[in-house]
Amino acid sequence: MRARTQDTKQNKGPTPVGTQAVTYRGASDAEIKNRETKPIRQRPGSGTIAESMIQKLGWALLSIVGALGLAGIALNRDEHINSMWLIVASVSIYLTAYRFYAKFIEAKVMALDDRRATPAERLRDGHDFEPTNKWIVFGHHFAAIAGPGPLVGPTLAAQFGYLPGTLWIIVGAALGGCVQDFVILFCSMRRDGKTLGQMAREEIGKVGGVVALVTVLLIMVILLAVVALVVVNALAHSPWGTFTIFATMPIAVFMGLYLRYLRPGKVLECSAIGFALVIASIFGGEAVANSPEWAPVFTYSAVALALMVIAYGFLASSLPVWLLLAPRDYLSTFVKLGVVVMLAVGILFARPELQMPAYTKFIDGSGPVFAGKIFPFCFITIACGAISGFHALISSGTTPKLIARESHATPVGYGSMLLESFVAIMAMIAACVLDPGVYFAVNSPAGIAGATPELAAATITAWGFPVDAAKMASLAKDVGEQTLFYRTGGAPSLALDHIHKPLGRTNWMPGVIGCSALVVGSWGYFLYQGVKDPLGGVNTLWPLFGIANQLLASIALCVATTILLKMHRAKYLWITCLPLSWLLIVTYTAALEKIFSDLPRVGFLAQARQLEGAIAAGKVAAAKVADTQTMIFNAQLDAGICVVFLILVSIIVIDSARVWIGILRGNRDATVHESPFVLTQLKAEEV
Amino acid sequence: MMSRLRELGRILLGILKEIGDENAYARHLTARGVPPSKAEWRLFSEDRMKRKYMRAKCC
Repeated sequence: MRARTQDTKQNKGPTPVGTQAVTYRGASDAEIKNRETKPIRQRPGSGTIAESMIQKLGWALLSIVGALGLAGIALNRDEHINSMWLIVASVSIYLTAYRFYAKFIEAKVMALDDRRATPAERLRDGHDFEPTNKWIVFGHHFAAIAGPGPLVGPTLAAQFGYLPGTLWIIVGAALGGCVQDFVILFCSMRRDGKTLGQMAREEIGKVGGVVALVTVLLIMVILLAVVALVVVNALAHSPWGTFTIFATMPIAVFMGLYLRYLRPGKVLECSAIGFALVIASIFGGEAVANSPEWAPVFTYSAVALALMVIAYGFLASSLPVWLLLAPRDYLSTFVKLGVVVMLAVGILFARPELQMPAYTKFIDGSGPVFAGKIFPFCFITIACGAISGFHALISSGTTPKLIARESHATPVGYGSMLLESFVAIMAMIAACVLDPGVYFAVNSPAGIAGATPELAAATITAWGFPVDAAKMASLAKDVGEQTLFYRTGGAPSLALDHIHKPLGRTNWMPGVIGCSALVVGSWGYFLYQGVKDPLGGVNTLWPLFGIANQLLASIALCVATTILLKMHRAKYLWITCLPLSWLLIVTYTAALEKIFSDLPRVGFLAQARQLEGAIAAGKVAAAKVADTQTMIFNAQLDAGICVVFLILVSIIVIDSARVWIGILRGNRDATVHESPFVLTQLKAEEV
Repeated sequence: MMSRLRELGRILLGILKEIGDENAYARHLTARGVPPSKAEWRLFSEDRMKRKYMRAKCC
């Protein structure tokens, strides 16, 4: 009872002015100060009237620029627009959203309190908990949330044209993704850095915690398979790419040995050497590709590469982590950040025109890259660029343990996701500056476009996007490849390291090997299935991943909504309920369509029925019957996975709704599980 | 201008060191009051990596 009283007191928002807070304010009321009357930070809106007017005019101007930019993007139909329209519109809206929406949530909804010591200060241990400069936490958090998702998703969604994906990336991030990351970071920070699963268990119930855990595991399996598939598509019949990726393995082992035995702790130095070696291997790859002796040694089919990737995944997760996995992780993180920076610099300097139209005819669901109408599949496909459930895991992982001041959660939680969304905008631009014929030639699977370059070029031209085989051959030669056809989602920069994420690690070798075999076997099965799929595995696996990822975001938003409700913020519940409702509508629609649609390219069961019909009608050659039966099983398995996803998220939504109704009716305990208030002792120079 | 550039460089280096676990290693050494060594790095990195790779990595 005592604990509840204490919690209830904490949940009434910021301390009212006139009581304790006055003690720590400066005489000018312009600064927030700690107990030692050292200024913590400037109070917002504490400048002169003239400064305030200039600021207001500046924000009004920026809002107008954002609105005009969006109008320019949305209303232009007859001529190509410059990519800078997208950059200007998105950046203006991001800044406006940060200044007004994020600050509104910070002040009114979560009432961040800089006088409150964060877990980084209270539990400071020199390991995980350490008050850290906010921009360093920002960079660290961004590096952790930025993966291949915001690059691949928009690239695939570009088949609808540049407009639908761009709008969703901007709006979805500002109103959904950033809010989720921010609120979960806040919740975890107020709970000593607890994970999403722990918070789900505490705030909703045991069922919520278990469901969150199972969902994460399933998503990991699908994610690893689909990212591995993208890598395989990029490397198939590409001696240059294959050599470069192969070379990163001995480089990583060298780095591991260097860090272990030569210069322990010198990670940046070691990574710089590794980075230089990777760059050298890229140049070496060109020489290999041009060599008649060496090129065949590094030229493999998709199936062969898939098997190699599976073997590599098993090896990487079984070897000592310091030898291969950790150095690759350091290296790939720096390479990934380098790619993002280079992408931004390239777009800003080149300022290319978008060749893709605002809309394509494929909004009707007949798209070659993946099947399905603009609703709901555009939203499922974009995934991480707008909202990603995985970010909730990062926001409730390392990051809350590094935050020095509560107000730092705004740039770190909301701001990092805005930057991730900007990466997605750049990926959309990169996809849309390609000639549409080239884009579809690169991204359409052979089963849809045609088995030969000539056939594929004729098919794509017939869709209204002229391209010819000679032009594609010339482009392939320019970039040192034998062919550019059938590389769905193919972005060779997507690092191979994302395909070997161990889910647990013990010192017991049989356990390590058994667990590795189980996990690698799971995603390896889906990868192999994707490689053998005549419609292109991305058509199957990416929507599955997107559905799973958005469902995890739904779980995170359920947890966030529950906590806000317990904090007596019922009138602000719309900030989480709005994106939650949208996600539930989108993911349920997509999952149901993937299971039950009558179109074989969309519905798994329809695909299975079509294949069964083909076998029954004798349309399948005897040699292909076994393969076809495997495809039937796979389609049924994929349908089953969608059903499992729906059941899992339904459980947590119903469980959450039960809690919400109970709290609103007043017949359920509304105790939050925040850590007690402790006044910060940190000085400004320590932050 | 130069001081701002230096500050920016300091922050960028800080981000890289945080990503590369060098800051965490420095904190580990400070907390234990020991100088850097192979043995300390092994102790630190094995514990750090064990916890790092038990968590799901983002997409």
